[in-house]
This record gives sequence, C-alpha cells and structure tokens, in this order.
Amino acid sequence: MSKILLVEDDEIMPKIVARILPSAEYELDHVSNGKEAFEKLEATNYGYDLIITDIMMPYANGFEILSRVKSQPRPIPVIIVSNAGNEDMIMEGFKLGADDFLKKPIIPAELLIRVKRLLMKNK
Amino acid sequence: MIFIIVAVLVTLLAYLSILRSRFLGHQRRKRLDYLLPKIDNLIIDEIMANPEVAAGTPASQIQLNLDGFQELPLHKKWARQATTDRIIHFRRNVRGNAGHLLRNLYIQLELSKDTMRQMKSPKWARKVRALTEFIDMDIPVEDVTILPLTNSRNRELRAAARHAYIKLSKNEPFKFFDVVTDPLLMWDQVELFRIITTTEDISIPNFARWVTYSSNKSVVSFCLKLIVHYNQLPAVPAVTQLLDTKDHYLRADAINCLGKLKVPDVEDRLVSMYSSQPLQCQLEILKAIGRISSGRQIDFLKQEFLHSTNFDLRKAAAKSLVRNNQLAGNVIQELLETANRENLLILKHCMNPLIKY
Repeated sequence: MSKILLVEDDEIMPKIVARILPSAEYELDHVSNGKEAFEKLEATNYGYDLIITDIMMPYANGFEILSRVKSQPRPIPVIIVSNAGNEDMIMEGFKLGADDFLKKPIIPAELLIRVKRLLMKNK
Repeated sequence: MIFIIVAVLVTLLAYLSILRSRFLGHQRRKRLDYLLPKIDNLIIDEIMANPEVAAGTPASQIQLNLDGFQELPLHKKWARQATTDRIIHFRRNVRGNAGHLLRNLYIQLELSKDTMRQMKSPKWARKVRALTEFIDMDIPVEDVTILPLTNSRNRELRAAARHAYIKLSKNEPFKFFDVVTDPLLMWDQVELFRIITTTEDISIPNFARWVTYSSNKSVVSFCLKLIVHYNQLPAVPAVTQLLDTKDHYLRADAINCLGKLKVPDVEDRLVSMYSSQPLQCQLEILKAIGRISSGRQIDFLKQEFLHSTNFDLRKAAAKSLVRNNQLAGNVIQELLETANRENLLILKHCMNPLIKY
C-alpha cells in the first residue's frame, strides 16, 4: 500500500482526493498547511511515497515544502495541485523539482492516473 | 437626567443587537455544521463515486438519484443557498464529467431559480452574487438580462456583468463593446483584459471592427491593446487609418500598436509625420521604429538622438538605436566615441540590459 501525504487547505479537496484514491491501495494522510506538513514529515522520517500539495497555503507554501522534500537524501515525488495559472509559478514549481503539476479544477481520473504513474516510476 | 436614560437605553439596545446578531450567527453556524457534511457526503456519493462517471458515460446520459437530496431541508432558503455554495465549491475543484454532473445537479435541484430571483433584486450585491453563481455553474443567461448591467453605474456590478457576458454569451461575447457609453476606466480595462485573455473557449473576433466603427475612444484604445495581445495582423489597415485621427492620445495608441505588431510598412509614414506630431506621438514613433527594427531608419534615429532638445526623445531614440543593434552597431560605436557627456550617459543607460526603462 502506498503512503500519500496530501497538503491542502481547502475543505473539500481532501474529501474528493480521498474518494479518487481508493483506500484499499492508498493510505492517505491529510494536513492543511505547510507547518503541519513539516511536522508530519519529520514525525514519519519522510516516510511517504508521494506528496500532493497545493501552492498557496498558510505558514509555509507548497514551494517551501517542495524544496525541503527535494533536499532529502531520498527525495519523495511531488505533485502540485493548484489553481495558480500563472506561468511563472508553474515554472518555479518545476525548477524546484516538482514531478507533476495539475491545475484546479482537476479531472479526477487524471489525478488517479498521474499518481499511479509516478508511484510506478519511483518503485 | 433624560440624557442619562437615553444613553442607557441606546447602550442596552446596542448590546441587545450585538447579542442578537451573535446568536443568529451561532444558530447559522450550528445549522451549517449539521448540514454541510450531509451535503458533502451526498455529492461525493452521487457524483464523485458515481460508477457511470468513472466509466466515462457522458454527463447528459447519467440519471441522477436525487432521493438523498430530497431529505435535505431544501424548502428553506438558507439550506438551498448552502447547497448551491457547496456545489460551486466542488465545481471549483473538479471538472470534466464530474463537473458537468455537478451542473446537472444544480439545475435538477432547481437552485438556479433562486439565482434568477437574486438577479431581479434591487440590491446590487445580490445581483453580483447571482452573476458569479451563473459564471461558476456555466448557466447561460439571456443577453437582455445582462447587457443593461454592463453599463451600470455601480463599478462592482458593471465589472461582474461584463465578466458574465464574456463568459456566458455563446454567440457574441464582445457585443457589449457596442453598447458601452461611458469610458472604460483604466482599472476596467485591466480587469477586462484579464477576463478576456484567461477565458477559455471564447471566439476572439477581429478587434479592427471596433477600431473602425466605435465612437467610444476608450473602447478603441482597449481594442488596440487586444489587437497587440492576439497579434491580429489583419487589423493593421484599420489601425493605420487611425494615424489620421485628430485625437493625439488615440493616435499615440495606434502608433504604439503598430510598433508592437512590428509592421515595417508603416515606418516611412511614421517618419514623415514625425515633425508635425505632439511629444507623446513623437515618443511612440521613436519607440515603434525601435520595435520594428528594420534598420532603415538608423540615420533618422541618430539625428534625433544628436539634435533633439527634449531629453525623453533623445532617450527613446537611443533605446531604438540599441534595439537596432545588429544593423546600427557602427553608428552606436561612433556615438559612443563622439557623444557629449549627457548623451553618452543616455546611451550607456540604454545599452545596459538590466535596465528596462
């Protein structure tokens, strides 16, 4: 079973992601801001197979999470899911090492496929 | 004595009204805390977890089971509004088949009727809210309902109506350019530009139409910016005709547009009209020649740089010479060696790639 950390401050998105990613195959943990994400990552010793994160969040944004995760000896793949359509922000995300970018609103099947593909690639 | 009594009474009334609004807020929160998880679960079960959505069945062929939703207190206005808000919130997170199905749910629950009622409200804030809901749910609204609002005196309502018109009008999303009577303020233009350039699936017309026929100068000026953004070269003849306009602000905008479109054919005309133009147009002409960078007007630029008495003109000429660098390399070198102290400073400033202006 793959462990996924969802960092998202929207109230509804975690419910949607939880429904898209079947609980039989994915263990989904949700935190609602960057600070909680860091705490969770430290507590689990970065023991996640994938991180799905928003960009604009309180305390620490998605970019900070991304740069921290990518500086680890075993970088965890990261998918950014954001409604930021700004080209510069998307490019900044990829420069920092994001593995994929999905613009909100998302297509549920697309998220599932991208998650599967990234997990397969990193196995 | 009477003043003390009045003061005490007013204070009491103020406290009571604060208490009342807090109590109502608490009640509202309590009701929503109870209702929202129910709505979320129903939407997730009926839309997100619908096996037909996963199977790729088109949303129009999926029959929604509304039994669960009938158990919600939808006969109450606040519950209907909460359901609408929740559906919109879901739609901001998902699109595709699930997004279409959310729209179908909104229509089948007849929530759009409430929104239509809000559109008829005399209060502008309700109209803005209704327009935003229609945009979020992609519900078409008749032109006769929105078009008058695009000229509203209220800035918020005017912006929302224009936004809605562009997003929702399937045939002619720019028709309101024909009916705009007041000038489009700079902020309106910024907002409209953002809406037009970020809206997907709208057919972009040839903006030359308004450049030629609109009597509203701000619409013409705005269309020139859109022509540049969409690189509409077929609009060049219409823009070139604008060089004859008596309004020198509009003429400057037209020159700016031609420069940004990089139309080399107009260079000679721009140079020939240069001496009779006001400062603003002269500056735009110099900038346009720099943008076009054909290399044919290097002598003219050099003349202006050396002999103009206006600082801004000399700076614009120098910048354009630098833009023509490939063909004007020798001239720039010569100027660097012979220019006086101030001109040398201008030239070096313009040659610095880190300085944009």
